Amino acid sequence: MSADDSDGDGATVSRRDLIKAVGSIGVIAAASNAAVDVDVDDLWTDDEHHYVGDEYGEYDASDVIHTTCGQCNTFCPVKVQLADGSGTGEYSSLVRKLAGNPYSFLNTQPFSQVPYGSDPEDVAMGDVEGSGDVDTDRWSLSGGRICLKGQAGIQTAFDSYRVRKPMKRVGPRGSGEWKTVSWEQAIQDIVEGDDELGHPGLEDVWGYAPKEDVMSDWEAVQNGELSKSAFDERYAEDLIDTDHPDLGPKSNQIVDVGGFRRNFIRNRLWHQGLGSINSVHHAGTCGVSSVMGNVRSHAAQKKRQYPDIDNCEYLIAWGTNPMVANKGPTWLAPKLTNAIEDGMRMDVIDPRLSKTAEKADTWVPVEPGADGALALGMARWIIENDRHDLTYLQNPSQSAASDDDEPTWSDATHLVLVDEDAGPKARAGDLGLVDENADTADDFVVIDADTGEPRPASEVDTAVLDVDVTVEGAAVRSVWSQYRERVFEHTVEEYAEMAGVPAEQIADIADEFTSHGKRAAIMAYRGPAKHTNGFYNTRAIATLQHLIGNYDWKGGQITPYAGYDTMSGRYDLGSVPDGRSPWGIPLLRGGINYEDTSLFERDDGYPAKRPWFPVAPPQATQELYGSAADEYPYGVEALFIRPYSNNHVMAVAGGDEIPAILRDTDTIPLIVASDTVIGETSQYADYILPEPTYLERWENFGTYPNKRLADEKISQPAVSVVPDARPFEDVLIDLWSELGLPGVGEDAIADAEGDLWPLERAEDFYVKLAANIAYDRDPVPDASADERRVFRESHENGLGDQFDLDRWKAAVTDEEWPKVVTVLNRGGRFEEPAGEYDEAFGEHGHDYDYAERARDSNAYDGEHMRYKLESRVDFYSEVVPNGKHSFTGERFDPLPKVDDVEHYDGTVQAAVRGDDDRDRPLRLINWKPRTQGMHRTQNSPWLRETRPENPVWINPRDAEERGIENGDEIALDAGRETVDAVAMVTSGIRPGVVGAMWGWGRTGDGATAETIDGETREAVEADGHSDYQFDEPMTEEGGYAKGRDAGFAINHVQPLDEELGDTGLSDLVGGSNAQYDAFVDVERR
Amino acid sequence: MSAHTNDATDPDDANDSTDPGDPDDANATDGPDGAALATARARLYGLLAAAFDGETEAIAEAFERDAFAAVADALPIDGEQAIPDGDGHDADSLAVGYDTLFVVPGSHYVPPFASAHATEPSEEFESDSRYHTAGEAGELLGDPAADMAQLYAAAGFSPRRGDGIPDHVAACFEFMRALCEREATLLEDGGDEPAVDAVCDLQAQTLSRLGWLDRFDEAVAEQDAAEGVFAGIARLARTFAAWDASEVAAQSDDRPSDTEHA
Repeated sequence: MSADDSDGDGATVSRRDLIKAVGSIGVIAAASNAAVDVDVDDLWTDDEHHYVGDEYGEYDASDVIHTTCGQCNTFCPVKVQLADGSGTGEYSSLVRKLAGNPYSFLNTQPFSQVPYGSDPEDVAMGDVEGSGDVDTDRWSLSGGRICLKGQAGIQTAFDSYRVRKPMKRVGPRGSGEWKTVSWEQAIQDIVEGDDELGHPGLEDVWGYAPKEDVMSDWEAVQNGELSKSAFDERYAEDLIDTDHPDLGPKSNQIVDVGGFRRNFIRNRLWHQGLGSINSVHHAGTCGVSSVMGNVRSHAAQKKRQYPDIDNCEYLIAWGTNPMVANKGPTWLAPKLTNAIEDGMRMDVIDPRLSKTAEKADTWVPVEPGADGALALGMARWIIENDRHDLTYLQNPSQSAASDDDEPTWSDATHLVLVDEDAGPKARAGDLGLVDENADTADDFVVIDADTGEPRPASEVDTAVLDVDVTVEGAAVRSVWSQYRERVFEHTVEEYAEMAGVPAEQIADIADEFTSHGKRAAIMAYRGPAKHTNGFYNTRAIATLQHLIGNYDWKGGQITPYAGYDTMSGRYDLGSVPDGRSPWGIPLLRGGINYEDTSLFERDDGYPAKRPWFPVAPPQATQELYGSAADEYPYGVEALFIRPYSNNHVMAVAGGDEIPAILRDTDTIPLIVASDTVIGETSQYADYILPEPTYLERWENFGTYPNKRLADEKISQPAVSVVPDARPFEDVLIDLWSELGLPGVGEDAIADAEGDLWPLERAEDFYVKLAANIAYDRDPVPDASADERRVFRESHENGLGDQFDLDRWKAAVTDEEWPKVVTVLNRGGRFEEPAGEYDEAFGEHGHDYDYAERARDSNAYDGEHMRYKLESRVDFYSEVVPNGKHSFTGERFDPLPKVDDVEHYDGTVQAAVRGDDDRDRPLRLINWKPRTQGMHRTQNSPWLRETRPENPVWINPRDAEERGIENGDEIALDAGRETVDAVAMVTSGIRPGVVGAMWGWGRTGDGATAETIDGETREAVEADGHSDYQFDEPMTEEGGYAKGRDAGFAINHVQPLDEELGDTGLSDLVGGSNAQYDAFVDVERR
Repeated sequence: MSAHTNDATDPDDANDSTDPGDPDDANATDGPDGAALATARARLYGLLAAAFDGETEAIAEAFERDAFAAVADALPIDGEQAIPDGDGHDADSLAVGYDTLFVVPGSHYVPPFASAHATEPSEEFESDSRYHTAGEAGELLGDPAADMAQLYAAAGFSPRRGDGIPDHVAACFEFMRALCEREATLLEDGGDEPAVDAVCDLQAQTLSRLGWLDRFDEAVAEQDAAEGVFAGIARLARTFAAWDASEVAAQSDDRPSDTEHA
């Protein structure tokens, strides 16, 4: 810098002059920074040590294994950083830290992932060109993003309450007493039965006969060609009931409850090996009604609603909280906040001010379960104000849509045969418009807007929306005409009244939703869906997007399921040579109408004893235990449970009724649990087999349609904490081998050439799966010799003696192995956002939007998404009315509708259309906590410290009426159950609604005492060294975790179905268990 | 009294005879007392920090007291904006001027931080910003910010001014003010030499990173041609900082330094 004088010598100014001049300043500007404190005693500007830490543990790629997180169902790709040389205990290695996987776009938002070809050594060291430096960029892609739950995964793996040996119960089920047995003993008991406990073995209860043989003989019996006694004799050992052969083989009475690893366990072992149709996952306790609502609204696969956040201008988050849940925390949260920063408006519809709602432009606290009314109110406003996309809606087929640059089209103009029973859509051949053998015979029929004539949809450019005519003697109405009529059944004001949302607000949202062309979208999930009317609520929401036709458009609704081949390609993993075909009525009665079974006649028609789910998959898990108790449609002889992902006692609404059923050995003679801990459900088993945690085993979690690019994640063992733990796959291989079932042992897996490979351990399957991933599309590059060395070293470091490189290598060919290493070293396969990414990344770095800006983007195709739905979207579902309510026999509705929340027998639990008769005034809702994943993570003191209990949110208006203040101890009365809780008074919940997080109130996993081999481990008390009390929500400074039993279990205060009495309410169309429909009152203790 | 002042900073306190910065004390000795000089420098840096942080009440008050004119008189300032003139401006109108120049990235915007004026941008990168062309000035949080942050970290100092931007002119001046205050305290307490040296060394390092004030001053002069209040203050700041840099360097030459023997 320089002074302005000619000689530039500022020093000629007298210091005294300056002091004098400055005297006039006084302390004018002193006020705002008087507190600045420079402590020059600690001043350091040299190279000497100044008590600032500079020692750090160097690590490299041989200390890193990339795998998948299992702390919640987001399943993030993660990086396991091993603690070098720490395998000095029973475990093979400690884990230094868990972070996100930098190869994956899911965990590097808002930045771009490192190129897939990057050397793992460079990635581990943060040396990839363009990946940034921590000191100057505040970011380095040596590790990606991970949430707090993910970081706490270390405490899941190293939980001291892990099951360490196979255990057999001592005394009655649920006694809490166990003794350890050898693996050999456990396998033998399960196969052959055990006199000590008095249970049968699998060989006693299993039986199977192919459907074709049985049904052909059954037909012969009906025709008098075969005697019934001969039939009975032939199939007595194989069928559940020879009077009702449609129930299927006895193998159906061996039931698997697990959820994940379904490709291996369900598809290969249960279905094709055992021949049992009953392998059940978590769907009923989760959002299956939402999934089915979406499935029935789109002709191609679309289970979920997700926006293209990066380009969306207006987003409605509807009953979902992506800042916390729904695949959100690491992946969607940064995208959402960035989009909001960039000007996207987001409104959130939720009775509670969630973390997402906190970021919203407008929070719309809808009445729980009245989401369908709100959606139809919006639809009415949109139609009345001509804000729907007419051009889109009048395209009757793909060819017409293509002409308008629309990747999708709707069924709005399609004609329905209204006089036929289930109201199918008319086909051109049916109406005699074309010859029955013509190519267009199966076309839907529309009225051509140019000619006014009925024609096959594919031959028409623009079709008429409103149609109500007779064609060739058949009464037909267009879908639009019926949908419109449905929407206009109520006024916006009436819908507003039902939804508890002002009519002006409905108009405002509908206006905004239709003001951004295709760049508006809805993301919806559990909130609207977890009611008995959840299916219809979801349908109403889904069809709002039909009105603007936002599918596949940049900034609109996206559906990229893009991944890489897993089950086929190099190896046909999905088929078991000489495998069985499972058949019969599923235990959970999905996919079949009651009246189409032999039980209809046996039980004198309607009502059926328990609900049937004719248009949903057989996954209404909430029905499992009551069905077993009622032996409806048949009993369960052996139940295998993997409660890490299916802890039904906690997860089912009314799950507190399950233990009584499980305790009864007559109801289910054999129960085997494969679990990491003694959990709420596994504690009622006859055997608990030690299961590795997700950091110790294989898995391949499916991809989600909320991303623009393809990916495939793979989990692989990174450490071994419990040496005797065995993945359930390995245990089942042993059991199946003992029973001589197909699908395991020699010649179990066919490769593409038809050669057969053995399946003796889990890696025989999963290493091949990695090969399939590696070779899909353009095969991945071979791992170099250096990379293969890194692979060997990292797995030796992580797994110690448990790692057998030769075994892994032997699972594939020598040619395939280097590509398999490439995939495993990266924890899967992740598509790059643009072509020639490697070079571009070096030039532009990680902080550059390649998907948007690169010429050869892999995410977009002009204004469209590259991965598309590209199908018809349905206002009217032909499938749904094929299903009938099993209590009344009434057909389900093909259209979205406003529906009440009802018990199985039709008793109204919560009215939407009118008033209900409720004993207690407050509606109880619940939500996923930010700090817990399912019921898997309460063992983590880190997480319990962040939130030690689940307080009950209550609006100040409701609190004041009851004299309740924030932090008060309260009693929550749910009628059949009253629990203690703490009040959290907040305006962030709709008046008349109270709610709490689920995940608390545990009795398993160290929450209660356990006795093994005569030694008792007491329950975990509060962690930390203080009598810290969680008594004032939102004010606690935190730091101490309460015990694992803290709080109350939200599902244990849910109402039971009045007709069934042993489980909660169910949505018969979508299959979900209702979880937001309890009525409670609270009072101060 | 402005809303920003409180009892502890009452202007009247400036005349307290115990104040080491009291000009009378300085006159009482043979040469300018080191502590008094440091205090004076601290005050001026403090005022400039406040001014460039948008504390227009302080600017208005300084004009009322003719403080800028007095300092400008003492410094060898030349040119049209020689003496800052606040005539016709109150705190509100100054706030509008400040925002237009230093806050809103519009047509008169002059980024008040060093990275934007760096002649050698930290690294070449393509940017989405329309205020930045690759390879030219206009960065935010470039190398100069890292340099300043390193100095702050060395002193355990957290700037309150400058919107969290370490190389913001207000943050830099606030830091200089703090360093000068510390120097004054040390000298009053008997002048623990190594500590004084360390503080002065840090001052010198800080001042050596303020060369960009020349370009900043020119940019402000161009954009504030009409009213010229901030142009005047910028000129004063540039000139004073240059003078101070030479003073600090001269003082440093006068002192035996530990590092010279190292």
